[in-house]
Amino acid sequence: MTRVLGWLAALGLLAGVAAGFGYAPREAIQGNVQRIMYLHVPSVLTAYLAFGLVLLGSIAYLATRRPGWDRLAASAAEIGVLFTAITIVSGSIWGKPTWGTWWTWDARLTSTAILLLVYVGYLMLRGLVDDAEARGRYAAVVGILGAVNIPIVHFSVKWWRALHQPSTILGPGPSPIDPAIGLALLVNWIAFTLLFAYFLARRIEIARLEET
Amino acid sequence: MPANWSYVLAAYGLAAVALFGYWRHLARRARALTARPGAAVSHRTPNRTTS
Repeated sequence: MTRVLGWLAALGLLAGVAAGFGYAPREAIQGNVQRIMYLHVPSVLTAYLAFGLVLLGSIAYLATRRPGWDRLAASAAEIGVLFTAITIVSGSIWGKPTWGTWWTWDARLTSTAILLLVYVGYLMLRGLVDDAEARGRYAAVVGILGAVNIPIVHFSVKWWRALHQPSTILGPGPSPIDPAIGLALLVNWIAFTLLFAYFLARRIEIARLEET
Repeated sequence: MPANWSYVLAAYGLAAVALFGYWRHLARRARALTARPGAAVSHRTPNRTTS
């Protein structure tokens, strides 16, 4: 099953690159640099999914004390950190030619950086506690509190005046995106979700092996 | 707006390195863990000895 997921993810990523660079048109105002969106947006949506699973695993672990939920939370957090880092780096590279700067303390950028730091802290905390039960309990509390930042990141562009553009696909009302660009984005989103599922399955298996 | 392909390549290139690097890290870690003598035993039914 994991192997099938891996191949599906690889095929999805190839389709995503073809859609983003071949099918989707050159954006009228930004030009080709807008193609970074097919990497940047799926990355952050995958990070949201990962940290949502950290929240789920953390709540379920505190309720049941079953190690499987802790393994899910820990594995999802690690992969979420990876995708958040990709989001920040790709956004920074996109920002330079469009905004004229690699970084600005805009509400969206700052809250995303905090999101990354919270889950890096979550992983560091896990590395500091030897006792598995205590580690799971402490990490679950951080996993639950850390999730508070997810809606702050998402709605930051609405709540504060931000340089970052407002939500266009998860925002209220119909999306203003051109259908060809929207389809390329959807293909990449599916590909990133498949890749996340593949990484998660492998990481959980490794966590299980580490406990034996 | 100029083509800016260098920025596009940099973003995709760095992401590819990060994702491929993580995939390799997982593969190596899994291999190291399954190669442990104890790990191989853990998949089997435990031997029960009677006293």
